[in-house]
Amino acid sequence: MRTRTQQSYLSRMVNVLNYIQENLDNDLCLDELAKQACFSRYHFHRIFSGMLGESVKELVRRLRLERAALQLKTSKMSVLQISLAAGYESDMAFSRVFKTKTGLLPSVFRNTLQASYPCSSTACIRYKTKERISSFEPLIEEELTMNVMIKQVDDIVVAFVRHIGPYQACGEAWDFLCSSLAPEGLLGGDAKMIGVSYDDPDVVDEKKLRYDACISVDDSFVAQDNIGIQTIAGGRYAMITHIGSYDNLSTTYRQLFGQWLSQTDYEAADKPCFEIYLNDPESTEPEDLVTDIYIPLKENIHGKN
Amino acid sequence: MEKIDLYKLHKADYVHPKEPVLINVSTGNYLTINGTGAPGSSAFDDAVTALYAIAYTVKMTRKKHGKGDYVICKLEARYWSSAGQCLSEIDKSQWQWQLMIRTPSSVTESDVNQAAVALAKKGKTPSVHQVKIIEFEFSSCVQILHVGAYEDEHYSIKKMQDFANKQNLTAKKQHCEVYISDPRRVPAERLKTILRMPIN
Repeated sequence: MRTRTQQSYLSRMVNVLNYIQENLDNDLCLDELAKQACFSRYHFHRIFSGMLGESVKELVRRLRLERAALQLKTSKMSVLQISLAAGYESDMAFSRVFKTKTGLLPSVFRNTLQASYPCSSTACIRYKTKERISSFEPLIEEELTMNVMIKQVDDIVVAFVRHIGPYQACGEAWDFLCSSLAPEGLLGGDAKMIGVSYDDPDVVDEKKLRYDACISVDDSFVAQDNIGIQTIAGGRYAMITHIGSYDNLSTTYRQLFGQWLSQTDYEAADKPCFEIYLNDPESTEPEDLVTDIYIPLKENIHGKN
Repeated sequence: MEKIDLYKLHKADYVHPKEPVLINVSTGNYLTINGTGAPGSSAFDDAVTALYAIAYTVKMTRKKHGKGDYVICKLEARYWSSAGQCLSEIDKSQWQWQLMIRTPSSVTESDVNQAAVALAKKGKTPSVHQVKIIEFEFSSCVQILHVGAYEDEHYSIKKMQDFANKQNLTAKKQHCEVYISDPRRVPAERLKTILRMPIN
């Protein structure tokens, strides 16, 4: 393990964690969080959940509940006040969630001396009132082996259809793109099927998620109704092959960012990742699907800039 | 409109038991391309590329024009020798083959020709012009599932021949393969291939 690199990712993430603790009652903006630790806004959420084992949203929800538990024990605030402070609309909703976590209703918890809020964080991050967080245990799976290749990729010109909505619903964009390009002879041969997703489903409302369904074309392609042309910038990329259902892509992303990237000397560049789909999901069993994931890397290795 | 999946619709044609069985494969329409040479040679790979390019171009063009939708079937291949010899007796570079993708009967020759013209215009392999739509009847066949490397298929072929001999059936000196696994993903020892041996 490259200790220095991991220290660097760790200490930057610690800044983010402290910022979250201090702003638990504010709307946390993803760009602001990424800025706290000089991470690219495109990749921050994946590095975060990859290293911490939970998303920003999940962490905030959990810290608010832990704070509520502390308030139950140490303050005179009513359960309703505590519920509202924890971000719940009613004490009913709060009580239900609280009971699933602790096994006790808030009022019972308050009066039970031995009751404590369980720690469910793999990274051992807990709500603290005054202290600053100084470190955490990043998630490292011992068994994990990742075959990551560093590749120099040329610019790729693509015809694309923008899909806005849940990522799983991008099929319509693909259908439209493929059926528009087919009569022109643009499918098949070396035409690549590429997906680019821009937003973090943990933070952005799923109705607003942006995804481009892309097929590689040559420069002679002319943009038409609803089909644009753009260039996926070449450069240095880390590439890993994901085998299996598209539903599990996010796990591979998290491992790649949280565990592989944070232990290398590489830094993700400030542009989106892309995926190349190597088979047809319609005629392939989900477990047999093959997807190459490309993560853009900065040309300079961090720490040596 | 319901999406047609011929592979599922004709399940009985694609049974894949561990021991040989005698089946009757229904008549079907196929997109095909013929050639000579070892599987995996450049001519073979070029033919696979051309066949898939036509298959997807035809499917998506028909879909665009509201002519229905279907799933692209698994790749199949028939192998034989031009002199009627046993395939195991000749060098693989002499193998004759026909690559096939089962396709709904509504797909026409003109769909295929239009697709080839469009693809060639965009600089795709000229082999697209070799792709044809045919009706083909395998009829009576011995069939088995081969698990393992393509090089080890002779073990399964031997099993099929023994089975045919026992039943007093004469096999044609050719066989057909249906590729279930993706060789890019599956290690050679776990590749699944349906082997089919037509009977005279």
